[in-house]
Amino acid sequence: MIRLAHLCYRYRPTTPPALDDVGLEIGRGRIFGLLGPNGAGKTTLISLLAGLLAPQGGEITIAGTPLPQWRAAQPRAMALVPQDHAFYPSLTVRENLAFFAGVQGLAGHARRRNQDEALAFAQLEAVAGRRAGELSGGLRRRLNLAIGLTGAPDILLLDEPTVGVDPQSRHFLLEAVRRFAAAGHTVIYTSHYMEEVEALCAEVAIMDHGKVLVAGALAEVTRSAAAGLGLTLTRPLPEALAAAWRERFATLTLAGNLVRWPEFALDELGALLAELAAAGVGVERVDYGAANLEQVFMRLTHHSLRD
Amino acid sequence: MRFSGTSALIRLRALWMKELLALVRDRHGLAALFVMPAIFILVMSLALADAFSERQNTAIGYGVLDLDGSRSAQRLETQLATVDLIDEYGPLPDEATARARVAAGAMAFVVVIPPGFGAQLAANQTPHLRLLADPTIPLMVRNGFRQRVAAEATRLRLERVLERVGVSLMIPELRQIVERAGPPEIAVEPVGHDDGGQAIAPSAVQQNVPAWLIFSMFFVVIPLSAVFIGERERGTLQRLAAQRVSFGLVLAGKFVPFVLVNQVQAVVMVGVGRWVVPLCGGEALRLPDAAGALLALWLVSLAVSVAAVGWALLIASIARSSEQATVIGGVGNILMGAIGGIMVPKFVMPLAMQPWTQVSPMSWALDGFHQVMLRHGGIGDSLPACAALVCFGLAALAAAFVLNRRGNP
Repeated sequence: MIRLAHLCYRYRPTTPPALDDVGLEIGRGRIFGLLGPNGAGKTTLISLLAGLLAPQGGEITIAGTPLPQWRAAQPRAMALVPQDHAFYPSLTVRENLAFFAGVQGLAGHARRRNQDEALAFAQLEAVAGRRAGELSGGLRRRLNLAIGLTGAPDILLLDEPTVGVDPQSRHFLLEAVRRFAAAGHTVIYTSHYMEEVEALCAEVAIMDHGKVLVAGALAEVTRSAAAGLGLTLTRPLPEALAAAWRERFATLTLAGNLVRWPEFALDELGALLAELAAAGVGVERVDYGAANLEQVFMRLTHHSLRD
Repeated sequence: MRFSGTSALIRLRALWMKELLALVRDRHGLAALFVMPAIFILVMSLALADAFSERQNTAIGYGVLDLDGSRSAQRLETQLATVDLIDEYGPLPDEATARARVAAGAMAFVVVIPPGFGAQLAANQTPHLRLLADPTIPLMVRNGFRQRVAAEATRLRLERVLERVGVSLMIPELRQIVERAGPPEIAVEPVGHDDGGQAIAPSAVQQNVPAWLIFSMFFVVIPLSAVFIGERERGTLQRLAAQRVSFGLVLAGKFVPFVLVNQVQAVVMVGVGRWVVPLCGGEALRLPDAAGALLALWLVSLAVSVAAVGWALLIASIARSSEQATVIGGVGNILMGAIGGIMVPKFVMPLAMQPWTQVSPMSWALDGFHQVMLRHGGIGDSLPACAALVCFGLAALAAAFVLNRRGNP
């Protein structure tokens, strides 16, 4: 069990906190999805878990042991797979794996075994002798993942592992992550691809502005936010109708072509649709009841652009 | 499963192997590391050999504008022709032509012998010669030539005095004393640590190659920064940190391979000075024969490598981009070279500035090389310079470590 309690981190005293009293519990052998818009605090959280930053407040424990002691006792048990292609383009695939195994203190038979297992896991045997700089985008992503496995870790931190790859490579990578977790390992997975997280993760947390907005089992998260009504219109709501609806529904939110009621009595739907038709506004989509992760995410992070 | 001492060696070996493999496969990096310094040394050796040698095919010449036409004026002209520093380009018809030739850079100097020069000498008056000079000619050369002209004029004046005294005393041979005597001969005897008259006069190559060798060795900052910053941009340094590879280990992983590469650079450059420069018509770089002196030479070059790579790692680790590293490292090296007597020899600097050369590690390195290559010193003589260079290199490494530790756990 990975436990994060009251974690705080601020890059400069004058800037808003990157993490503000963050608390999470991640079960062993799970794939945990960490979601949030740019600047939400995901990378800071991953950096704290990987030991690249030290918490300024709060604590991270793994199996009851504070993170620094846990890492010191088993330095290879956690691995970070960064979003960048963090390897050496002039070295071959095999040389890269040998190097990253070597810097983790592995030599001789142990190094060769881990190297071969990582090669096989990412199905890179056919390109083992090719220079990493000559690989396609998908193969580079697979090598990036394979390097993370050279220390045979128990916990894998994956930061946007499928950015810029084709659907086949993405499918392969997701399957690989599933296989890794199925062997009893823990994965913490950050991504902007909601359908990926929804398909892969049993538990998720959505962060924004350094805080955890919601966390728990995927089904609970989507259900908890599912009571309202959402309409996707053909064009933005006319001003007069928008003003009238704002007066009638205090919790109504409008964002472009989207209209949302966090709580909604279904018997009013007919009247609303009639009002829209009278105003000449068409309805492209009606969402009621179960929401998908993207809807929950957009609702919680208030649809606004961050960059 | 904690990392042990053996594990640290395994990790270091992996870092060293990676660095060497990456270097060997980087063709542009290799060119920057070896070909450029080799060409640099070749060009500098060939360029400097003639300019500072005692008498070779220099392009500096002078003319004489004789406005007097006396016997004394002709004699001065004849005596100046024996100057072995620069060539004589012959007489000039008038001052306008003389000025035009100097202004065009066709000749460095014109000695103007004024009307009445012979009469002034005969009357034991101070003659008033003029020297038209090209402003691009170094001050040292100008002063040297001016003094030679003054010396020859003084000799002529002495001849005239003795001639008059000889006539008065009815001893005409007195006049010939100066004429026959000629200028005094001054033998230059280089004095090194190995006494017994074995020291050989150092050539311009011998004096200048160590300076440019040091300068080139310090330029390891450019390729090393490129490697380091590339790693930071690709996220490999972050990945290594996440794998609990300390920054100290990362520095050690680069330090040893780059010191090795820097040593190969030095060997290549010395090899060029020793074997390639003579093939191109220049003077060969002479190395000491004795094993002890060779060992001392290697120790100095090793100490220079330690200082150069330590400095390069400091720059590479604090620079945020290759552009920053190039500017900070490149300009820093040029400043060190300018202050340290690499670009302008220390003895040419004003007295007030000479002590400042000691703030530059390049000056310590130059002292070390001069001790061995010019003064023929041994290991003991080069140790102070070596110790200072090693301390500088280690201090730079420590600074790199401390500066990068800030903000990281």
